[in-house]
Amino acid sequence: MKMPISRRTALVGAAGLVTALAAPNLARAQEAKLRLGVLTPLTGAGAFDGPRMLKAMQAVATDINAAGGVMGRQIELVVEDSETNPEAAVRAARKLIDVDKVPVIMGTWASAVTTAVAPVCWESKTFLTTTSGADGITKLPHQGYLIRTQPNNYLQATKHADFIIRHGSKRVFILSIQAPFAAPTQQRLTEVLTPKGVTVTGSLIYDKDKTSYRSEVDEALKTSPDLLYLNGYAPDVGVLLRDLYRADYSGTKFTQSYALTEKSLQALPKPITEGVITVQPSADVNSPAYVAEVKRLGIAAPDGYESQATDWISIVCLTIAQAGQPSGTALRDNVRKITNSDGAVVYTAVDGLAALKAGKTIKYSGASGPCVFTPIGDIIDCKFRFNQVTDGAFKLLEVA
Amino acid sequence: MAASLADVPQLLLNGIMSGAVLAIPAIGLTAIYAVLRFPNFAVASHATVGAFAGYLANVSMGWTLVPAALVAFLAAGVVGVASDWVVLRPLRPAGLITATIASVALTIALENLVRLGFGNALRDYNLPIFRDWRFGGLRVGPQQLEDLAIAVTAVVVLFGFLRFTRLGKAMRAVADNPMLAGIKGIDAGLIAVLVNFIAMGLAGLGGMLIGLDTSIDPLTGFRVLLAVFAAAVVGGLGSIPGAVVGALAVGVAEELSLLVLPPDLRTMVGFVAILLVLTLRPRGLLGARAY
Repeated sequence: MKMPISRRTALVGAAGLVTALAAPNLARAQEAKLRLGVLTPLTGAGAFDGPRMLKAMQAVATDINAAGGVMGRQIELVVEDSETNPEAAVRAARKLIDVDKVPVIMGTWASAVTTAVAPVCWESKTFLTTTSGADGITKLPHQGYLIRTQPNNYLQATKHADFIIRHGSKRVFILSIQAPFAAPTQQRLTEVLTPKGVTVTGSLIYDKDKTSYRSEVDEALKTSPDLLYLNGYAPDVGVLLRDLYRADYSGTKFTQSYALTEKSLQALPKPITEGVITVQPSADVNSPAYVAEVKRLGIAAPDGYESQATDWISIVCLTIAQAGQPSGTALRDNVRKITNSDGAVVYTAVDGLAALKAGKTIKYSGASGPCVFTPIGDIIDCKFRFNQVTDGAFKLLEVA
Repeated sequence: MAASLADVPQLLLNGIMSGAVLAIPAIGLTAIYAVLRFPNFAVASHATVGAFAGYLANVSMGWTLVPAALVAFLAAGVVGVASDWVVLRPLRPAGLITATIASVALTIALENLVRLGFGNALRDYNLPIFRDWRFGGLRVGPQQLEDLAIAVTAVVVLFGFLRFTRLGKAMRAVADNPMLAGIKGIDAGLIAVLVNFIAMGLAGLGGMLIGLDTSIDPLTGFRVLLAVFAAAVVGGLGSIPGAVVGALAVGVAEELSLLVLPPDLRTMVGFVAILLVLTLRPRGLLGARAY
């Protein structure tokens, strides 16, 4: 039996053929998405910060896409888990670079992970943004393919010294655990304090794992300090605080927030922690960028890590728009045109993208701080949060 | 500014106090060596076990210092016997090295079990903290004196046990000459259980005493392992009075080193002490007789 091809059938067939031929174009439109790599710790020691950093980046990406994307292209985050493990992180970075062909990897957290991933990135001309604090990271031969938003030891010591001067202390003794940061921190503190009339009455580096620091405490107290800078970790700072209480020391005690955490505050006897001042890097809580972040994330107080993640993706998207092309080298060559420029200050990626479209020069100022980078990729300034233990709980002194 | 000669009395006092606390686990290490002839590095984790057992008694049950310290002793002693029975006893016939390495593995395993149960956070006993007493330019903490009293009591009781009881004499006999002791009908297996109980119990007590002065976490015992080993070697590995003398010597030497060394090199004193003793007097200060 003969099946005549009706005009209608022919039309339907032709339409189908046209659609089929057009399919690659549709696929190309999908490909036109701008892929950005994310490598945060989702498991392991960084599992508390990593997922929150990822969420902060996703929130910014959603905002940017809703406002039309970057150079008309929607952005897509390709997410891998660093497992807070250098070996797993290197494998994930290779996948992001070789398979997904991302121009940037955002989010390495642990210094050991960043140290392992950074060479993979700079060798394949991929940009890397990180929150690792070890001084050595920006001193790697990264050829400009790395920026970090976390303050290094040098900046931390500078800010601590500024606080000590504001606090009105006149005689400071520095007790440090034997660690790579001990000597550089002592040196920087002394450099800042001495010209301002604050005497560093002495310093010593103590051995970790001692059951008592009585003799060290005696040595420090002999110099009659009115502030003790305790640069150690939780176990030894706990012992030091006990021995200081026993020795009747009544001056100020100053330490890093990781050496006297919320948990150790609950464990240690109240009298020995009373009045201790702790410090930690902080988000720039008064910045419009931070206010926008609070609204975007819908949480009351995003911390430094969420704020740094907000800034990475904002800086990366703005730089790509500025450069006009999404490559690691373009990011390297143009990032400071966004962060270190004296253009119109913008606080969100969406505002910045609109300003760039209008042909303006912009300066992105972030939620974690002003985001101005040195030639080797360190930030030159950020905020710090100073807390004081009052009646067994932390009370905010200032964010400065 | 380093310590000066005027500080010597205070340094001596600090050294004796820290030495007295170190002596307790050092006796444990040396006692096991005397009877079973291998250095059992699992004293480190047993010190941690004792510290946490004492913590549970003190904080969860609300017991005071002395009963909590007894719990620390008993719990570490029981764990010591059990872990030796399961892990080390079957390996001892394979020789000194095997048993020693197994004891290192055992200490890591036990430490991680504690970590599994309690986490890594620092914990603290529920005991009041006092200002130091000062007299004649010296200062000493009431807690230190309590530690000292507990340490001295433990040593006196142990010496009484070894000197006057049948079991104590049997232990010394096995330490002195296992074959002769066997011929006389002393059960070496029973003595092994006993020495493990006492030695690991003492390690646990020592762990708690260390924790009283600091905070406790799963690494509490491991942190002092080197000093404990140095004390036992300096006194003469296998000699119980030697462990006391060695601990006091290492404690005092570590403090006096501050006269000439920066504080971050204090740990070196333990190594140097081991090196000197092994080079100049390998039997240790008091020789190798158990008692």
